Amino acid sequence: MRWRWRSGSAGPAVLADGHALSAAMLRQLFIGQCLVLALHLAWMPAWLAGIALVVAGYRYLQLRRRLPRADILVRLVAVGLLLVALWLQFGTLRGMDGLIGLLLGVYLLKLLETHDRRDARVVVLIGMVATTVAFLHDQGLLMAGGALLALAWLVQSLVWLSGATGVRQAWRETAWLLLLSAPLMGLLFVSFPRLGPLWSMPQIDQASTGLTDTISPGDIANLARSDARAFRVSLEGREPDPDERYWRVYTLSHFDGIRWTRATPQELSATLGRSEEQFVRLGQRSPWQESDSPRFVGEFLLEPDSRPWRPSLGAPLATDSRHRFLGDGTLEGIEALGSRSLVRIESSGRAPAWPDPAGARWHTLLPRDSNPRTRELAERLWRENGADPRAFLAAVMDRFGEAPFRYSLSPPRLTTADRVDEFLFESGVGYCTHYASAMAVLARSVGIPARVVAGFLGGERHPDGYFTVRDYDAHAWVEVWLDGAWERLDPTAAIAPERIDQGAQSIQEGADAFLADSPFSSQRMRDIGWANRLRLDWERLEYRWQCSVIGFQREARGAFLNRIADGLGDFWRWWGGLMPGRGVLATLLTLGVALAGMAGAGLLLGLWWRETRRRRDERVQWLSLQAWLSRRGLGPEFGESPSAHLRRIAPRAGAAGPALEESAGHIERLAYAPVGSDERRERLKRLARRVAEVRRRLRRRGSGA
Amino acid sequence: MPIASAVWPRTFLARWKRRSAASLALPLPQRRLFLLPTRFGLGWAVLVVVLLLFGINYQNTLAYILAFWLFSLGVVVLLRTWRNLLGVRVALRLPEEVFAGGEARLGLVVEGRRPRTALEFHAEGASLRLDLLEGRGEGVLALGAPRRGIQALPLLRIETRWPLGLVRALAWLDVADEILVYPRPLDDEESLHRLSGPGLEASDFAGLRRAEPGDSLARLAWKQWSRTGVLATKAFSVPPRQQLWLDYDACKGDAERRLSVLCARVLAHHQAGDRYGLRLPGMTLAQGEGARQRRLALAALARFRSPAPGEMPS
Repeated sequence: MRWRWRSGSAGPAVLADGHALSAAMLRQLFIGQCLVLALHLAWMPAWLAGIALVVAGYRYLQLRRRLPRADILVRLVAVGLLLVALWLQFGTLRGMDGLIGLLLGVYLLKLLETHDRRDARVVVLIGMVATTVAFLHDQGLLMAGGALLALAWLVQSLVWLSGATGVRQAWRETAWLLLLSAPLMGLLFVSFPRLGPLWSMPQIDQASTGLTDTISPGDIANLARSDARAFRVSLEGREPDPDERYWRVYTLSHFDGIRWTRATPQELSATLGRSEEQFVRLGQRSPWQESDSPRFVGEFLLEPDSRPWRPSLGAPLATDSRHRFLGDGTLEGIEALGSRSLVRIESSGRAPAWPDPAGARWHTLLPRDSNPRTRELAERLWRENGADPRAFLAAVMDRFGEAPFRYSLSPPRLTTADRVDEFLFESGVGYCTHYASAMAVLARSVGIPARVVAGFLGGERHPDGYFTVRDYDAHAWVEVWLDGAWERLDPTAAIAPERIDQGAQSIQEGADAFLADSPFSSQRMRDIGWANRLRLDWERLEYRWQCSVIGFQREARGAFLNRIADGLGDFWRWWGGLMPGRGVLATLLTLGVALAGMAGAGLLLGLWWRETRRRRDERVQWLSLQAWLSRRGLGPEFGESPSAHLRRIAPRAGAAGPALEESAGHIERLAYAPVGSDERRERLKRLARRVAEVRRRLRRRGSGA
Repeated sequence: MPIASAVWPRTFLARWKRRSAASLALPLPQRRLFLLPTRFGLGWAVLVVVLLLFGINYQNTLAYILAFWLFSLGVVVLLRTWRNLLGVRVALRLPEEVFAGGEARLGLVVEGRRPRTALEFHAEGASLRLDLLEGRGEGVLALGAPRRGIQALPLLRIETRWPLGLVRALAWLDVADEILVYPRPLDDEESLHRLSGPGLEASDFAGLRRAEPGDSLARLAWKQWSRTGVLATKAFSVPPRQQLWLDYDACKGDAERRLSVLCARVLAHHQAGDRYGLRLPGMTLAQGEGARQRRLALAALARFRSPAPGEMPS
């Protein structure tokens, strides 16, 4: 048995005995395994690659030194070791990662007992399953490209197993198969109805974005920030100005003196003793506010997250699928997203204009004895501004704009029970949550209903007009209830206006504070012009891919089919307008005639093609020539072969003689000699030309005589 | 009736096969081709369903795409497997002479207008794999020939699993031809003894003839070759030494054994260049020599029907 790494040495898939796989085929299978494994390696432990190498090494030695096959004991021990390793790695075998690891491990170990054609085909089938499972990690462009490569390789392995005779042939057949099946695949992809999940499956644990539903200013000194994407959105119509790009996600309405927490509808109904129905409604349109004229309509491409949050510019008004509309003017999905998905959300662009069902009292609650100095300050400012809420709030904002307040992403830790006092009167350094928290406490101290809103601010605008919002765009601000509507107040704007205008990355305080955790972040490449352009191009491509292909789920598919139906309707009207006769019947009739005409043309084309193919057969050529000669009294004698016949009449044929001689030669070669396809084509062409020449010359002679 | 119920499906299947078999003269027509899924093809179908369920339950678009692609591949493979067999034309090269107990080497000349890959031919346990890379291929199918006599050639099954092995396209070819199987030659000590001896060696130089592959190197006329450049073989003639009759009644044993002995003697006497005739019950072949005599004698032996015990000639 040979095991050579030269690519040209690919031999047949099975050995001469018709069963055992050749070394070349085993190598094929191994390369396929490597390609499939490569799709997983970014998410799975690297020692899986070690398994692949060990198994391949074992098979190599086995073939080289003619060692015995791996017996049942060796295989059982291998599987046992795999299970132990997975258990050590993940702590459990029940999780999705453990299951994927098991699948990959078994796939790699299967090579140990792959001996005949059937085993090899099983290996390829497992490889296809493993490729599909890789899509759980990611569905991006890179993954799709890698999977296409793996698929092509696996199909090519199957072609070898079915008896390919050479590398070129195997790849040509693979390419044909993939190309020919692609249109049908596309048709199925568009037309196959999309169903909801039939039963629940184990899920991969998704990381959560930087957004939290609890804010406790000062707990964490350094804000860990990542440039992971939270969502992408393209907006129809007018683009929001920089100071309008407040993506609301959660409201935090409960303050215990240290931290602000979110009160879910369930908690609210339990605390306030009212039904949950009063805080959240399921539907496609907001039950809280008329949704006649949405200010912004956005197509959101959301990254998977463990929580079902949905961002919106201002209060959400309507969506394209059923969602939970919360009374505080935020939106939730029915379940968390396991993969990227598209949602269309219409929103008002400003804070909700309806009273929160939890009531004004809920939004002015403060713990009785906490933060005394802050209350004192609030009352003083309230009195100074003549008990006018607007003047009071303006005064607070002004105060934040003055020294000693400073914006910083790495403020000192706050440790006392009265965090807001400590921040306002001692440290004076903080980021958005510090300011939002202080602002809300100040407003509540004088009886103005207030809540903290957690969400995102800004986002990177791409040249195509869509926005990418990342984790580090997370932001917190305040909403206060004034004159029958909630109003947005962002104290960070007073202290660090550039944060609003230019985005989070404009906050530079010591170049390394921002993104200290990700030294190779793409954001660091922004300064290099071509790299940034390349990055933007790649992101645009990725976005298109995600929107058009990956997001092609239920709603997108419905919209697409509607567009096609509309297109057909337009065509129908256009055709009806084009035709002289009016009415459905006339249109239908003319359309039928046009289609029949096209079909007829196609049929004629097919006939012509068949005729030319027929002409390529030398037998047809000489039979017709013989019949033609017979009509002129030059027919063959009994038992005479075609070439002998032509040679016999050649001397008497005058000018047609040489052509007859040459035709006889061609016919002989074509009929009896093993000619290659190139020579065959060439000779057929010449034969046709000579036959035409014979007819021409003989006819001329006939007419001359 | 257990026997009938076991036999009936088999005969039915055989009849159906024969009726659906294609004839040799024409390229394989569409109506005579059958497509059957293989076990691997069924596994493929299960895989497609599993991937589709995976895509639905995880709402995973790429899994959908892969499932659809594998399904489409299956459909395309169906067509390509069918097309790999459609229009193949098979011509037979009947074996020249077959002795019972040996093998009948049936030559197949297969033509297809396009290149074809991995065509398999099966008949009665013999199989052959052919690739028509230039649209043409040849091979030999070694059939068994257990018994003497006229033997109808079996149905020829031609099938292919190219390109993925998901489906099998197959057709039966009705060869509608028969071969004549000569008796198994059986050397009798007595006859051997009589054939060997001095003077039987071909020794009289009779002239030169054109050399053919397989001629003994010792008999090549090297001198002639150096002079003329034409390779020739020295031919020696054996004078017809005996004029003899091979007689059925003179042999011992049952009918088949007698025929076998006669067959061996025909071969030996032909080789020795003797003139011989053949006497069988109810048939006599006049004395003669050469290849024609050999062929006639062997054919007579092959076609011989042993008379019923009652009408044994005395």
